[in-house]
Amino acid sequence: MLESDFQKQNRFFLNMGPQHPSTHGVLLIVLEMSGEYVLDPQPVLGFIHRMHEKMAESKPCQSFMPNTARMDYVCALPYNHGYVSLVERKAGIEVPRRAEYIRVITSELNRVASHLLWLGAYLLDLGAFTPILYGFDDREHILDILEDITGSRLTYCYYRFGGVNQDIDDKFVDSTRAFIKRLRKRFVIYEKLVTKNIIFIKRTENIGIVSPDMALRYGMTGPNLRGSGIAYDVRKNEPYSIYPEFDFEVPVGEQGDCLDRYMVRVREMEQSLRIIEQALDRLPEGPVRAKVPKNIKLSPGDCNFAVEAARGELSYYLVGDGTGVPYRLKVRVPSYSNLSCLPELGRGILLPDLVSILGSFDLVIPEMDR
Amino acid sequence: MAQETTNFKQDILFHEFNATETDYNQRGYHLEVALEVNQVRKFAQKAYDQGFFLVFVTGFHVLPEETEEGTTSGLNGVYQFARFDRLYRIKGQVSVPEDMSLPSICDIYQGADWHERETRDLYGINFEGHPNLKPLLLSDEDKDFHPLLKEEKKLKSLEKVSWPPEALESVDADTDAKASSTDSIDSQPIKK
Repeated sequence: MLESDFQKQNRFFLNMGPQHPSTHGVLLIVLEMSGEYVLDPQPVLGFIHRMHEKMAESKPCQSFMPNTARMDYVCALPYNHGYVSLVERKAGIEVPRRAEYIRVITSELNRVASHLLWLGAYLLDLGAFTPILYGFDDREHILDILEDITGSRLTYCYYRFGGVNQDIDDKFVDSTRAFIKRLRKRFVIYEKLVTKNIIFIKRTENIGIVSPDMALRYGMTGPNLRGSGIAYDVRKNEPYSIYPEFDFEVPVGEQGDCLDRYMVRVREMEQSLRIIEQALDRLPEGPVRAKVPKNIKLSPGDCNFAVEAARGELSYYLVGDGTGVPYRLKVRVPSYSNLSCLPELGRGILLPDLVSILGSFDLVIPEMDR
Repeated sequence: MAQETTNFKQDILFHEFNATETDYNQRGYHLEVALEVNQVRKFAQKAYDQGFFLVFVTGFHVLPEETEEGTTSGLNGVYQFARFDRLYRIKGQVSVPEDMSLPSICDIYQGADWHERETRDLYGINFEGHPNLKPLLLSDEDKDFHPLLKEEKKLKSLEKVSWPPEALESVDADTDAKASSTDSIDSQPIKK
């Protein structure tokens, strides 16, 4: 970075956000600038802090279910999944197999929807308008499918302790299969439209390189970590639910730049489709909800449960005290740790590259602020 | 990956700390480390050297206790680490002394920076050596307001919110009994 005398004497501060479209929500980044170079980007969080953890401490554990979906509203079902699994682990509840299959199918559909939204929004950040129209078109199909069985389009509250709220029907299975077929055809279009686009490659290649050591120091997880070549996926490394029964790969990148993070997510969508296909093929018959007591007692002691959300590792840490109300519930959200490396990563780069990096991190602000 | 855990555990016991192995199926982590305040940084450094990443730093609030050294603050700091290459999750827990301060680990794990600022917001724990301990999630006006501190009548003693020492046997027996009873209802329940 070259800094002229004029620029050295005229360093200035720039507020990016909280109304900036590239921050995808109410996130403020205070940038110390020299010309068009960023010297020190400092994120300011908390604009939509709602204190979910306090809410968890003040009502019975089943009443906290709707809150889980309001943290990451783009990919809410894994948040449901982590919370029900946590309480099931704590209270020793067994889940019927069919229910676990339904959970995996719907969670993976939600993950694909999240990645599609990200794909469109990221390209929009980089100045390409068309992909978001394609992305939203495909995502709309998933939302329709999920709306039929869960009753909502974004903030799902579909899973229950010991199973799911209601069984899926033939219509769900048929429309999901039809959607998978359709999306595979669309991947070809995406590849032509985006992946091989020279402007896109110039904006992402060698930009925002996250080294494996940096990822470790900041606790980065999810596709952002896998872009740096580390194959850490909670579904594989800390198997939960019925994920060990499925055959799927964990795509990784090579050098950890924005392009690698993009490629990892695109390839991950195909893996999610594979999981859904296998689950639909083997869907067992049986009940979808086990009998659980109305008032679940959380025995004294702590308990942790981690799941792979669309943005990385989501950990719930619960301290029980023998009553039905959690004594303490900590939610470890992936975007929070992922973004915390920005002050180090964004030092001395061009402002447009910062936009590219922020987009490639796939941030969801309500998830970070909680 | 995950299968290597058993052999791996033997090389990685945190010998110099008061560490106990825990039942992963019940608690979701493998090793519980009870820390003293002056061990926190050593523990973090050891975790970093062995390739752990930081999952989170947080706290929880229990009834203050009378000890030989005086009254505790009632706050507990919790540190969780895990590994990218193997299934191994550890938890460190430390009782915060009366002066409400803990050593900061954000020069070892830069990711702890935000976690410590958040913990200061919610509990008022002061992390000594933190370069920038400003409010993060809460606004500057709420600097002295710590929402997760509990009212006195809601506080429980640490003993009441910890696993009882005999938990292992009794819970094992419970889950066995439950598994056999649900067998008759559902064809094949999932073992969590």
